[in-house]
Amino acid sequence: MSTPARSGSQLPTTYGGRQPAQLADVLERVLDKGIVIAGDIQINLLDIELLTIRLRLLVASADKAREMGIDWWEGDPFLGRGQKDALEGRLKRLEQATGLSDGDRGDSERES
Amino acid sequence: MTAAGGWYVYGVLLAAEATEAIFRDVAGVAGGPVTLVVDGDLAAIASEVPLSEFGEDAILENLRDPGWLEARVRAHERVLAAALHAAPVVPFRFGTIYHDEGHVREMLSAHRGLSTALVRVRGRRELGVKGFLAAVAADAEPATAEDDTSAGRRYLEEKQRARRLAEERDAQRAQWAEEAHARLAAVAEAATANALQPREVSGRDEEMFLNAAYLVATEREREFRAVVAALEAEFGPRGAHYELTGPWPPYNFVEDPA
Repeated sequence: MSTPARSGSQLPTTYGGRQPAQLADVLERVLDKGIVIAGDIQINLLDIELLTIRLRLLVASADKAREMGIDWWEGDPFLGRGQKDALEGRLKRLEQATGLSDGDRGDSERES
Repeated sequence: MTAAGGWYVYGVLLAAEATEAIFRDVAGVAGGPVTLVVDGDLAAIASEVPLSEFGEDAILENLRDPGWLEARVRAHERVLAAALHAAPVVPFRFGTIYHDEGHVREMLSAHRGLSTALVRVRGRRELGVKGFLAAVAADAEPATAEDDTSAGRRYLEEKQRARRLAEERDAQRAQWAEEAHARLAAVAEAATANALQPREVSGRDEEMFLNAAYLVATEREREFRAVVAALEAEFGPRGAHYELTGPWPPYNFVEDPA
């Protein structure tokens, strides 16, 4: 079992000087909650929602990956436009599995 | 109105309670100052953003960059945190952008119901509580094969046992989540249980069993914290751990205007 880098999602943002807000908690609120009022710039919320989940999956491992010089999420085919169905399907499977196994993650890793 | 600029809106305050001094120490999502756009009794918390970064095509491109998104999302949150310390605030979701100040005013005048939302969250703040179940030592030592038949048999038994254990843990988690949520909701004005974060997201070895948000009256925050401490004292020895976050702007307790 791999141990996710615990410090990965703890960047320095605080509320009232209390403990740092974890990125996952911030993303969950800022991207998924709050009032939605249509602005002049049209942002496809589906894009954002999918990205949120995608990003969430990266949050804890991103720092660790960067340490190792891996930035496999950049240019990830799942983030390409027109790939939403594939991403949605994958997210569903990921959600069903309570927590990701290393095997699930492995197929999107490009370390070589 | 500049051709290359847009107005990014973070949320709204009551105009009577809003001053730009509230945002003196925070920068907007594009690094510039945060200002107020007032219409009637409402004030939008806003800042100018370059359309080269936040325009329709540019933002779609930028959203795909986790580093860009993280920095902007955190900036959005810091602006609202500053507001929360000063006055009731209704937070907007990330990415509400108008072409000019006039359109921000029109939005405010078209959504008078925001004043009602502001009244609802007055004197109340959102607190988050996450519950974790300590990871059990992986006791599923794979059988070392002495001979093929016993190894195969042991493998199946092991698998059955693991499934039974997983079911028991699921039931335990559900029960603890229910128990904690009920006790916490009892001292809150409103409560909501959100989807659990998988380990990769929470960044912890422990399994999350509760990810909830509570709208708590400020005068009851101490009481709320005491409930969290009581849960920790009662269930901690059995492997549960509770984490309090916030206070947050009431992200989970504002409803979209019709």
